[in-house]
Amino acid sequence: MSKLTTGSFSIEDLESVQITINNIVGAAKEAAKPTKEAAEVTGPMGPTPFPSIATLRDWSFTLFDRYEPVYTPMCDQCCYCTFGPCNLEGNKRGACGLDMKGQAAREFFLRCLTGCACHSAHGRHLLNHIIDLFGEDMPINMGSSNVIAPNIQLVTGLQPKTLGDLKPVMEYIEEEVGQLLATVHAGQEAAAIDYDNKAMLAGVLDHVGMEVSDIAQVTALGFPKSDPEAPLVEVGMGTIDASKPVIIAIGHNVAGVTYIMDYMEDNGLTDKMEIGGLCCTAFDMTRYKREDRKAPYAKIVGTISKELKILRSGIPDVIVLDEQCVRADLVEEGQKLKIPIIASNDKIMYGLPDRTNDDVDAIVKDLVSGAIPGCVMLDYEKLGELVPKVAQAMAPIREAEGLSAIPTDEEMKDLVSKCVECGECALACPEELEIPVAMEIAKGGDYSALEELHDYCVGCRRCEQVCNKEIPILSLIEKAAQKAIAEEKGLVRAGRGQVSDPEIRAEGLNLVMGTTPGVIAIIGCSNFPAGTKDVYNIAEEFLNRNYIVAVSGCSAMDIGMYKDADGKTLYERFPGRFERGNILNTGSCVSNAHISATCHKVAAIFASRNLSGNLAEIADYSLNRIGAVGLAWGAYSQKAAAIGTGCNMYGIPAVLGPHSGKYRRALIAKTYDDSKWKLYDSRNGSEMAIPPSPEFLITTAETWQEACVMLAKNCIRVSDNNMGRSIKLTHWLELSEKYLGVLPDDWWKFVRNEADLPLAKREMLMKMLESERGWEIDWKKKKIISGPTIKFDVSAQPTNLKRLCKEA
Amino acid sequence: MVDTTKNTKLFTTYGVKTSKTVTPEVASKLISKAKRPLFVVGTGVLNPELLDRAVKIAKAKDIQIAATGSSMPGFVDKGVKANYINLHKLGFYLTDPNWPGLDGNGNYDTIILLGHKKYYINQVLSATKNFSDVKAISIDKNYIQNATMSFGNLSRADHIAALDEVIDLL
Repeated sequence: MSKLTTGSFSIEDLESVQITINNIVGAAKEAAKPTKEAAEVTGPMGPTPFPSIATLRDWSFTLFDRYEPVYTPMCDQCCYCTFGPCNLEGNKRGACGLDMKGQAAREFFLRCLTGCACHSAHGRHLLNHIIDLFGEDMPINMGSSNVIAPNIQLVTGLQPKTLGDLKPVMEYIEEEVGQLLATVHAGQEAAAIDYDNKAMLAGVLDHVGMEVSDIAQVTALGFPKSDPEAPLVEVGMGTIDASKPVIIAIGHNVAGVTYIMDYMEDNGLTDKMEIGGLCCTAFDMTRYKREDRKAPYAKIVGTISKELKILRSGIPDVIVLDEQCVRADLVEEGQKLKIPIIASNDKIMYGLPDRTNDDVDAIVKDLVSGAIPGCVMLDYEKLGELVPKVAQAMAPIREAEGLSAIPTDEEMKDLVSKCVECGECALACPEELEIPVAMEIAKGGDYSALEELHDYCVGCRRCEQVCNKEIPILSLIEKAAQKAIAEEKGLVRAGRGQVSDPEIRAEGLNLVMGTTPGVIAIIGCSNFPAGTKDVYNIAEEFLNRNYIVAVSGCSAMDIGMYKDADGKTLYERFPGRFERGNILNTGSCVSNAHISATCHKVAAIFASRNLSGNLAEIADYSLNRIGAVGLAWGAYSQKAAAIGTGCNMYGIPAVLGPHSGKYRRALIAKTYDDSKWKLYDSRNGSEMAIPPSPEFLITTAETWQEACVMLAKNCIRVSDNNMGRSIKLTHWLELSEKYLGVLPDDWWKFVRNEADLPLAKREMLMKMLESERGWEIDWKKKKIISGPTIKFDVSAQPTNLKRLCKEA
Repeated sequence: MVDTTKNTKLFTTYGVKTSKTVTPEVASKLISKAKRPLFVVGTGVLNPELLDRAVKIAKAKDIQIAATGSSMPGFVDKGVKANYINLHKLGFYLTDPNWPGLDGNGNYDTIILLGHKKYYINQVLSATKNFSDVKAISIDKNYIQNATMSFGNLSRADHIAALDEVIDLL
């Protein structure tokens, strides 16, 4: 029958006509409008369902008033339109009128929007695919929770029950992404702070898009559902058995890879072949059909830093790509070692021939003969058959030829001797590795310095491109580290998905009172300033201190790479609940949505705040009462910028590694400006002074040791009770002494009365308050008589939002 | 005298403005003439060769030390007064004329930089370069484009020798 297009039309004089309504335009927004009946069922609708650019601007600006945008431009110039290039140095304005701050803010915003688009497009792809397989009516199943989509509910007001209910959410995101992208055009926006507001919205949409992605796959693909005992997974380059045909999957979108795994299972190949992954596809491969806690046969090789390293090892017999964080030189590199590259997502086609419509055996023949270096395969049924067949066909050929880019002992010696120590490699190295020094030592036959570089090296091969002697430096490092690589075998817990409602009920009070000292969320990529062990060290430090450590993505992998003296990883030593002293891995990149959602859930479930379309109030609650801080120590991607910025809009601060100054914009408060450290008490609208924490929403740290101190300090919240504040101060002061050698110089600002002081140091600190700050102490009663600038009031209701105050 | 002005090859490009290279002699004069200098020292200073020289430079002109990252224990061990501050935060505060400084006496006119990762300090200095009048003098091993004045790229040995010359001239 013919299809009616969108619009208004009248139907008259028709008889016996059947009308099927496929989709009602604007239905989602209509459904989100508050009605009395709906409110009785789902609670009232908040003031900002389906926010667009202007909707939450007041909240952004409230945050920016304390957390000021700090711009660190990457370039003096703007090269964006044909008026330019314009020199903006010294905050000049370009030909279009935009100044340096505006340009830096636009660039930062564009990173956030790109990250948001990436996750959301991933979500759209997965959702469409899964609805095609299972239908729109499939009920969402995230485990034992009633609040199943906290980000979606908070932002849009919708409470999806089925996969089909996620479609209007995606439509909303897509509309806003288009609106936001339009503002990047020349002549669209003038004020830096308004680009910053747009970045915040892009960040929020990013979390909603991630949530859609993970809800779809957790529901339909048999992933663990809020399971603290999800199975342990092997992780590391040394886990792959190279004697078998090896499939390596790289990217973030597991949809196509599930067909490969199904084919392997259907054909009894799971013990005859190896399948390993890099980046988040790897995580989702190990979650696929593992809600029964059965140990996964899929393995995690590692992060983007390992992509070239595993390829050059010659171990993969075929590489299958999907999307995101895939190196752009894999086809070229794969060709050298006869490793076919199969692109399975139309976002990444790599110039390869599209063989989607061809016969699988014919494609295998062309790949095995080398007629084509790889191909595009967008039909997942065929992909599932193609990839294992290619691996099986290529394995004996490649083994016979001994294909590897790793030099032999003799070649190694020759290559090392070619180095003239010109220093070009060191200058090009993004990690500032002392490659020439290691090469000089290697000339004497000692490869230990080269071996040491392996863990610090991000595998980018910038060194090789500037080497005047054309030495394959990366391969030399890998050769020197062969033993270490073979021993790279750790364990990580498969992604558990959301934190459940019962876990929130059990932990909410401890978090808000501060008796659980905080949540440290270690997320993001692997662009670490000093090797992979940093994230392990940080996680261990906070687990030993009874913080909740939440992890995801590539950081979760690297944390699992290290073991204690008894040979145990942190995932074996500490349980996986949302509870103090636990480490919970939510899953892949898109599972980051569950970490931010945990804060929303505390507000909604523990504090009974209305979640629906109520972003500012919930974010205000998190900012003032939940001691959660994110750490994206190796953030390199635009997605990481979006995740962090979304957290900021939700009132969750984040610390990034030193590379992340290159994102161009931080949000840092002036701790010396007392006018910025005030809130309203919503009981009566009066002003209350607060301590300077969190002192940033997003910033960078130089070393992991400094990051530890910053994380502990910025878990302090105005709502801490005496015991909570005392516990938090204990950890902050101890960490400062441990890693900086001194007590912090502003610890006294956080003291409201003597009960706030750490027990073990109470007397010593009171003496310091008396002698250095002039506070009055009653030594008989061991009480502070006068001095504190902030008061302790257990009943206070701190808020940034005047409208929440009773008098308002 | 070590020629600290030769190699200004950039590890990446930030656009049109590049710092002027300085000799140890000029660097020492700039440090001496600064009205309100701050010695901003990064975690790289935990290398004992650098730490000794950083202490000598600070003591020679009684310059306040801002110890960034986790460099602080180096100064604590030496019994030298320093204040910890996060580098990114410091970069921001330096752009605020109302910042009371680390000692409560106001903002600084000159910062001297040592012991930093080049990509990190360069990024932080893009804020001071574009949004403040503070002078940034880098006496680090690498050429720092966003500083006002900087040594060029130096070998480790030349860098140490250049620092010794600065110390002698202070």
